[in-house]
Amino acid sequence: MSSDVVNTKRAKSQALGPYGKVGNALNELDDRLGVAKGGRTFMDKIFPDHWSFMLGEIALYSFVILLVTGVFLTLYYIPSTALVTYHGSYLPLDGQRVTEAFASSVNLSFAVRAGLLMRQMHHWSCDIFIGAIVVHMARIFFTGAFRKPREMNWTIGTTLLILGIVNGFLGYSLPDDLVSGTGIRIAYSIVLSIPVVGSYLGFLVFGGNFPGTAVIPRFFILHCLVIPAVILGLVGAHLFLLVRQKHTQFPGKGRTENNVVGTPMFPVFMAKTTGFLFVVAGVTALLGAFAQINPIWQFGPYEASRISYAVQPDWYMGFLDGALRIWPSWSFHSFGHTIPLEVLVPSVILPGILFNIAFAWPALERRFTKDFASHNLLDRPSNRPKRTAAGVAVLALVSMLFIASSTDVMANFFRLPLNEVLWAMRILVIISPFVAYPITWKICKELQAVKGGGKRKTTNVVTRSADGEYVATPAPVYVDDLHSELEASQVPKFIVEEPDEQNESGVRTTDR
Amino acid sequence: MTATSLKRIAMLSLVALFGMGPLVLFIGNANASSHTTFQTNRKNAGTPKSSTVVVDPSTGVVISYGNSAITYSAPSAALATVGQALFLQNCASCHGTEANGVPANGTSGAYPNLVGVGPATIDFWIESGRMPAADPRAIQANRRVARLTHKQALAVAAWVNSLDPSYPDVPTPHLKNANVSDGAALFALNCAACHTIEGDGDALAASTYSPSLRNIPAFQVVEAIRTGPGNMPRFTGNLSDYQVRDIVKYVTTEIQHPQNTGGLGLGGLGPVAEGFVGLLLGVGLLALVGFWVGERQ
Repeated sequence: MSSDVVNTKRAKSQALGPYGKVGNALNELDDRLGVAKGGRTFMDKIFPDHWSFMLGEIALYSFVILLVTGVFLTLYYIPSTALVTYHGSYLPLDGQRVTEAFASSVNLSFAVRAGLLMRQMHHWSCDIFIGAIVVHMARIFFTGAFRKPREMNWTIGTTLLILGIVNGFLGYSLPDDLVSGTGIRIAYSIVLSIPVVGSYLGFLVFGGNFPGTAVIPRFFILHCLVIPAVILGLVGAHLFLLVRQKHTQFPGKGRTENNVVGTPMFPVFMAKTTGFLFVVAGVTALLGAFAQINPIWQFGPYEASRISYAVQPDWYMGFLDGALRIWPSWSFHSFGHTIPLEVLVPSVILPGILFNIAFAWPALERRFTKDFASHNLLDRPSNRPKRTAAGVAVLALVSMLFIASSTDVMANFFRLPLNEVLWAMRILVIISPFVAYPITWKICKELQAVKGGGKRKTTNVVTRSADGEYVATPAPVYVDDLHSELEASQVPKFIVEEPDEQNESGVRTTDR
Repeated sequence: MTATSLKRIAMLSLVALFGMGPLVLFIGNANASSHTTFQTNRKNAGTPKSSTVVVDPSTGVVISYGNSAITYSAPSAALATVGQALFLQNCASCHGTEANGVPANGTSGAYPNLVGVGPATIDFWIESGRMPAADPRAIQANRRVARLTHKQALAVAAWVNSLDPSYPDVPTPHLKNANVSDGAALFALNCAACHTIEGDGDALAASTYSPSLRNIPAFQVVEAIRTGPGNMPRFTGNLSDYQVRDIVKYVTTEIQHPQNTGGLGLGGLGPVAEGFVGLLLGVGLLALVGFWVGERQ
């Protein structure tokens, strides 16, 4: 072979073989690690297109942002309660004795380039993270996606919600400012309220009596290492199970219990989801840049002797705070011991019951409906009125508890007497689930009765005749909506293997 | 009485003498601090006892007193006649013609007795617009635009004060050399428990509330601290004039013009507003984007 031939472009590409440089590199990788088979499965993973499947991704990408901004913050944050004299650029604190944790938090906000942006993005991202988990969870619940075979993923998801709330609280406490210090004080009291072991547990967690010096370093390790590692592991398990068990899907054209209709991972979904990552990051960055969150410099450092009125926790702790606020002051004194029911019941027993119901729900539903079949097609919420009503009832209860955490703000804003707002919230919290359940149930029943419910409305085409008469003619129904599978699917007792339908072009399906 | 018991008593008194000895140091301390002129205590805060006094040479009446932090000036006695007329017009229907809280056909105790409360109290209630009251039966009078002018308020204060001269007089704080950092610390310790750390005020028990501090002139902050209007405690012995001045500086700068370095302040409502923004703008907007890129049937 002569040298001039090798130098031409075509000859070079021929020498590379049919797969090009990238293909060759992948071939080399496949020879050693055998990535082709798994990679193929991954690239061909089918994602349903329905928009509500993006809600979980908001949480996932918020978590990514939390990790990135969090790493930035750890570079400047000092987890220490040692006292230093603050001499920084925020003059109203100049010369005050503050903890190193507080001083470093203020310094990273004012003296570090982009420090405040990162701190605010971290905080907003946390609010969005837990919000997205809740919305995602609601979608999973109301469409019945938690049913067999996905109960395990429901359990993991609920655990992730709890871990997110706990880690959010720990992170909120780290700056050691006046407001978060009050929060730690409340948390300490909640631990103390647990009968028999409370005081021992409190000393174990806080390394002594409140406030002590151990709490900030301990919270730091928990917030930055232990809990994020657990969350990361569980997110991995959540996604592994998602790929392993494949997605659920709404009933529709060509969709059965045995297939998944949607777009493949590569290239369509990958482009879409990467774009969505950037949108989540962009919205978080906009909030971080333009909306102030938790201005700790205005709050000042925490000291046990100082307190600010009108302190609320972040929104995801709101339902606990609300329950604490409205609970009557019942306590039980006997044999030289006090059991403070006004703390124990709303802040330990109530969340315990709520989360245990969440964990147990798939099993409970199986027991009550006797539906032991596997489900890959989702329910329309109106087709399962009892479940939907129960979910809305719990949401109403939690929302009312959440609103109860701002009794003082409402009383002040609307110039109402605080005590009456408190009583109104007590009544609303108790009656809200009992009002929400029947209303939701009735709405579901009505929706079931609507002919063509859930289908898009067709347009009316108005034409004017030569005589000047206007005639409205309904346009033909959308082709997709003619399909019978949009109707309510019956609860199957067993899965019938159906042959795949003939698909139109552009719709890809895979066998389960 | 035996010799041993006498000896014991002598020994004990000797021990007691030496034991009490260190107390002399405290006496010395008390003396030492009393000649730093403006030390305040429960009795003298906001009164001429705490400061240098300017006396009218002809009448011997205190015109003003104070220090480099706050000057307290008495309203001019010449205004008292005008003040009485204004009082009869605007105040007497409740507080009575004698300002003793007994209206014409009323019983005593229904309305506050104003005799001997000091000019600063009268001035504060009138200049903050709380008096004349919009609704005399209201549990707490709201701040609003003042019905009387500054001079009219001083005139009313002059007349009421002429019935039983008392203190504090109307203060003027000098904020130039104030320490805003000390003010911030004192604010967190003394004020935030009711007015909130951001000074927005909030609903208190029953139908009372702590008012917002966002738009209060400096001298009224001093008046409120020194006279304790409504539910507010009267801060005397624990806050010197210098400390009050520091708090006023912090309130009129950082509380009224907070450094919202992080962007929009969101109304200073804290996590309530943040939660709304995070859920509606954050999660809501992202869900909308998901709705946009996803399939919607």
